[in-house]
Amino acid sequence: MLNKTAFSSIGKRQPRSEDYRLLTGRGRYIDDIDISGALHACFVRSPYAHARILSIDGADAEDLPGVVGVFTGNDLSQWTTKLRMAPPIEGVKPLEMTTLPIDKVLFHGDLVACIVAEDRYLAEDAMELVDIDYEPLPPITDMFKALEDDSFLIDETLGTNLISQQSFATPDVHRIMSNGDKVIESTFSEHRQTHLPIETRGIIAQWDAGCEHLTVHVGNQATHPYRSALAARLRISESQLTVISPDVGGGFGQKIALYREELTVAALARYLNQPVRWREDRMENLMAASHAREDWVRTRTVVEADGRLKAMSLEIVEDFGGYCFYPANYLARVIAMILSGPYKLQHYAYDVKVVLTNKCGNGPMRAPMAITSWIMDGTIDNIARELGMDPVEVRRINMIREDEFPYQMATGETLEDINPFETMEKGLALIGYEKLRKQQKADQEQGIYRGIGICNVVESTTYGSKFYKSAGIPGSGHEAAWVRVEPSGAIIASVGISATGQGYETAFAQTVAEGLGVNAEDVSVQLGNTDVAPYGMGSRGARGGTAGGGTAYLAGQDAQKKVLAIAAKMLGLNTDEQLSMKGGKVWRRLDEDWSDTKLTLADVARIAYLDPTNLPQGMEPGIQIHKTYDPPSMTYSNSTHFCQVVVDVKTGAVCIERYLIVENCGTVINPLIVEGQQHGATIMGLSGTLFEQVIYDENGQNLTGSLADYLIPTATEVPDLEIVHMNTANKRTPAGIKGMAEGGVMGAIGALSNSVSDALLPFGIVIDKHPISPNVLRTLLREKE
Amino acid sequence: MSGGNLIVMEKRPITLHINGCDIDVLIEPRKLLSDVIREDARLTGTHVGCEHGVCGACTILIDGRPQRSCLTFAIQAQGKTLSTIEGVVGEDGGYTALQQAMHEEHGLQCGFCTPGIIVTFEAYLKNNPDPTEDEIRDVLSGNLCRCTGYQNIIRAIKKAAAMIRVDVGGA
Amino acid sequence: MKPGKFTYHAPENLHAANQLLAELGDDAKIIAGGQSLIPVMNLRLAQPDHLIDINGISELAGIHQENGLFTLGCLTRHADVETSPLLMDKFPLLPAAAKRIGHLAIRNRGTIGGSLCNADPAAEWPLIAILLDAHLSIQSSGGERHTPAKEFIQSVYTVDLGADEILTTVAFPPLARGEGWAVNQICRRTGDFALVSVAVTLKLDRQGHIERLRLCLGSMDVTPFRLIDVEQAARGKIPDKAWIHEMAGIAFDAGSPESDMHASAQYRREMAAHLTSEVLTEALGRCRAGT
Repeated sequence: MLNKTAFSSIGKRQPRSEDYRLLTGRGRYIDDIDISGALHACFVRSPYAHARILSIDGADAEDLPGVVGVFTGNDLSQWTTKLRMAPPIEGVKPLEMTTLPIDKVLFHGDLVACIVAEDRYLAEDAMELVDIDYEPLPPITDMFKALEDDSFLIDETLGTNLISQQSFATPDVHRIMSNGDKVIESTFSEHRQTHLPIETRGIIAQWDAGCEHLTVHVGNQATHPYRSALAARLRISESQLTVISPDVGGGFGQKIALYREELTVAALARYLNQPVRWREDRMENLMAASHAREDWVRTRTVVEADGRLKAMSLEIVEDFGGYCFYPANYLARVIAMILSGPYKLQHYAYDVKVVLTNKCGNGPMRAPMAITSWIMDGTIDNIARELGMDPVEVRRINMIREDEFPYQMATGETLEDINPFETMEKGLALIGYEKLRKQQKADQEQGIYRGIGICNVVESTTYGSKFYKSAGIPGSGHEAAWVRVEPSGAIIASVGISATGQGYETAFAQTVAEGLGVNAEDVSVQLGNTDVAPYGMGSRGARGGTAGGGTAYLAGQDAQKKVLAIAAKMLGLNTDEQLSMKGGKVWRRLDEDWSDTKLTLADVARIAYLDPTNLPQGMEPGIQIHKTYDPPSMTYSNSTHFCQVVVDVKTGAVCIERYLIVENCGTVINPLIVEGQQHGATIMGLSGTLFEQVIYDENGQNLTGSLADYLIPTATEVPDLEIVHMNTANKRTPAGIKGMAEGGVMGAIGALSNSVSDALLPFGIVIDKHPISPNVLRTLLREKE
Repeated sequence: MSGGNLIVMEKRPITLHINGCDIDVLIEPRKLLSDVIREDARLTGTHVGCEHGVCGACTILIDGRPQRSCLTFAIQAQGKTLSTIEGVVGEDGGYTALQQAMHEEHGLQCGFCTPGIIVTFEAYLKNNPDPTEDEIRDVLSGNLCRCTGYQNIIRAIKKAAAMIRVDVGGA
Repeated sequence: MKPGKFTYHAPENLHAANQLLAELGDDAKIIAGGQSLIPVMNLRLAQPDHLIDINGISELAGIHQENGLFTLGCLTRHADVETSPLLMDKFPLLPAAAKRIGHLAIRNRGTIGGSLCNADPAAEWPLIAILLDAHLSIQSSGGERHTPAKEFIQSVYTVDLGADEILTTVAFPPLARGEGWAVNQICRRTGDFALVSVAVTLKLDRQGHIERLRLCLGSMDVTPFRLIDVEQAARGKIPDKAWIHEMAGIAFDAGSPESDMHASAQYRREMAAHLTSEVLTEALGRCRAGT
């Protein structure tokens, strides 16, 4: 029997098809690709945070045997164009950067010159011989000082270090805020972090002089936009460029932009007419790839006596570093737009400032809006403390209830198909909230400081083109896929998204299989090659499932339509209405029963390709479907995170005793993969909150250039996560899919921070900055002792 | 090879015994074992993640013991028995118990740290077939993973240990 | 991150190694496990012209019980100490200390001699060697000399080792029967260098008075150090809660710790006090279990 309503491939807990090559050492990451005769590039980097480059003398380096050349910003400017980051967005100032700096370096680790040699060892030998004369300039390492009138400027042409400022206010918010009600103020600051993919960045560029064609292998999440950028900056056509992203050892947002090192390598491969490769080392990756976060936030809130929100204002100041590889409003603006999340708030204002400093440029890192849920739920906790209420009560009274969706937020964004009240209540029941509170009191008397932190997350996923437009961010949210059924019945599909570990080959095979009515094992998914994949917008913003998987699903459905139309003709039927594909076979409905017609996909494909005169009238030969799809403005997921900690007040250590997530991420394509993503995201959030921190000293020297100094947790520092699903489908996306790979970060930051504040309530300590290291906690406790 | 045994700053031929094969390479003494395995022996399953001994991606077995191949010069590995991920093969040429469990439990995402973890635990489970979760976590702490949060890796290792115990018990 | 060029030497015996050192002087560096040296070479923070690899000198490895001492060859790997049946049985303090070093793969390669010669004030072996008054044997082409650990380890990354000398063995006097011990440390993560470490041995007489106390703090100064005066003053006292509290207070004030990005000096002091109290309690437990 064939059940037409339930999914057969979507929802299957299927181990990944990618695994075999990766488990047996046969993966192909950038460094694994053998290109004969390839030269190795390495980069000379600035020891100063801010300096003029007076001269670069590479003569001694070039004399070293095996060294091909030392190339500077002036060299590169002959072969490449500048990057002009000047989106037509109100409040964002235009900025330009050359491929390699020519006059000035802007952070410790900034690029100065590129050395090309026969191997990396030789290139590093040569690096020591390059003689550079710098004139150090005052480093700007504090974003607030950077905003002072007399601050030195990162870019003199701007006349300010304030690269972006955007504000918003609903009509009555300021009146309500100044009505004389007590204003509850909360601050939050997130420190600078970096993505730390275990595989660092890397590229191989090969110029085919005969065909005038450049092929680059580069670990990248969005190969088509990357190709567009690279072609433009090399002044070649997109048709002269193939971008291949092979197996990639993690991205987390770091591998989206076209970086200056990669552009340099591509340009040199063409100039030298010889393949050139570069693999970033760990120190470069930590200091100079891309950083993320570092912002200071203040909310000001007025509430009713029962805790109901009346009005709220938000200020964000973000330190963006010295360079803009993305429009400067790209990250912080989204936080402001979706801040209120699951809570009812109609009177709202925000002011978002983004500042340039002498640090590595910032970019999106898994959950660019990561701090959002902590700001909101941290503010709610402060309100509860102020009013002497239970934090759950304040959440309940403000929460948008089931019958209030779709709910339009003050910023105009519409929330729908989410169930925050239900996920919170479910979690409260599971952790035994009331009992836990009693236990907490009893423990406190014994000197055990236990805390319960709750964070309700509304995760913005799968940004559609409409959202980009309304947020003033350039770009499109559409995605593209194709599905081909070959003459033998073999099925190949591709999507314009490249993978960095998310298991897209498996998940997309499942959605294609669902759409086409075949088994997922029979679908081969080919990703990451711009000659093969259709032009899509890549992997970012938790869009893989909905935009990628969704478009592939739609393409699969279209392919099925064509297959059934052919099958109807083959079966001598006037219509295909009573036909359906399942398991690669054509089924026919007679009355209420489905029966196997014995016609297989291969039978149909043979006709489509090799006997087209037998196709229905007017039908084109072949089965090749190309599909594009622009998802809704925003597809929201939601979850509630519960974190239970014990703080050792003697050592400042935070022990996570229990971590529970109740999650609604829509239709789940593959539970195994989805849970893996939720684990990874949540641990990344806990890691950022407890351990990770990029540290610059007052001279702008980066002190965290090694993995002994930039800390991520090992297996002994992480809790096990319990995940409970309360999924509801999204009504507007293909198959009801939602995104889910970033909410874990958002929830973890909030739940953990709130739990530590809760544990330390007897000391009057509220966590308002990270990382919550033992040293920091002891400092806070010491002040109270 | 008398005392002193001076080798000048040039490439010199050495033989490495990797996964049961003798591989002759011509290398500078300064070349790291990780680079020689990958570039000269063309066994690219061993990954390089930090080159300062912290991440564990480059872990291989030297005389049966997990060690960092980025913290050894290849020239020091002459006469040693080296095994890399390419040498980890199940009895029928398929997965070992650990690889099978990693696959089933989704113990890998990007897969870059995976070879280091597999070779470490292939060796560890041989000598410690019934580890506690704390012991597993302690050994795994030498391998950084940025994707999984470790939970599924730990689950897979426990499962593999159980599979191995059943195998041994049944034999 | 690739090391600079060097000339590689692999002497087959100690004599040849000494001769090479005498010949090459400061241009040469000995490599044992290389777990501290190779990272700094990869970063080109160290660029020795000559590297003398002593891994092939088999006489430098091994764990022996001789003349009432437990003698470890300088090439003994941390993991060999950790898993030595002899030490687990007779000297469990040493395996317990070894287990705290780095991670399994590091312990499989790193050596006790290398760790002592590197003299990182946060490292395990300098702490333990100073705690236990280890005797070090040092060989040069001129002959052998012996020195106590606390004189060998002079400052941060600085030891008393001449250009042509090689540390060959580390000899630990065993604990007395019934002597308790404990080692503990505070790290950000498993395997990290200690922010503070404390090691202790404690021997009580039959009446429960302290007969011998040794208390050593790591990461609290340029080298690990013993609280000799305090140890002597403790003799004859009863190790009750008040005494432990007093000792914690003394540890708090000891040394002159530095502030760095992972911990302030004040935090280190607090943790020295906390750990002192913890290890004394643990060591007392062992004393009582042993008697």
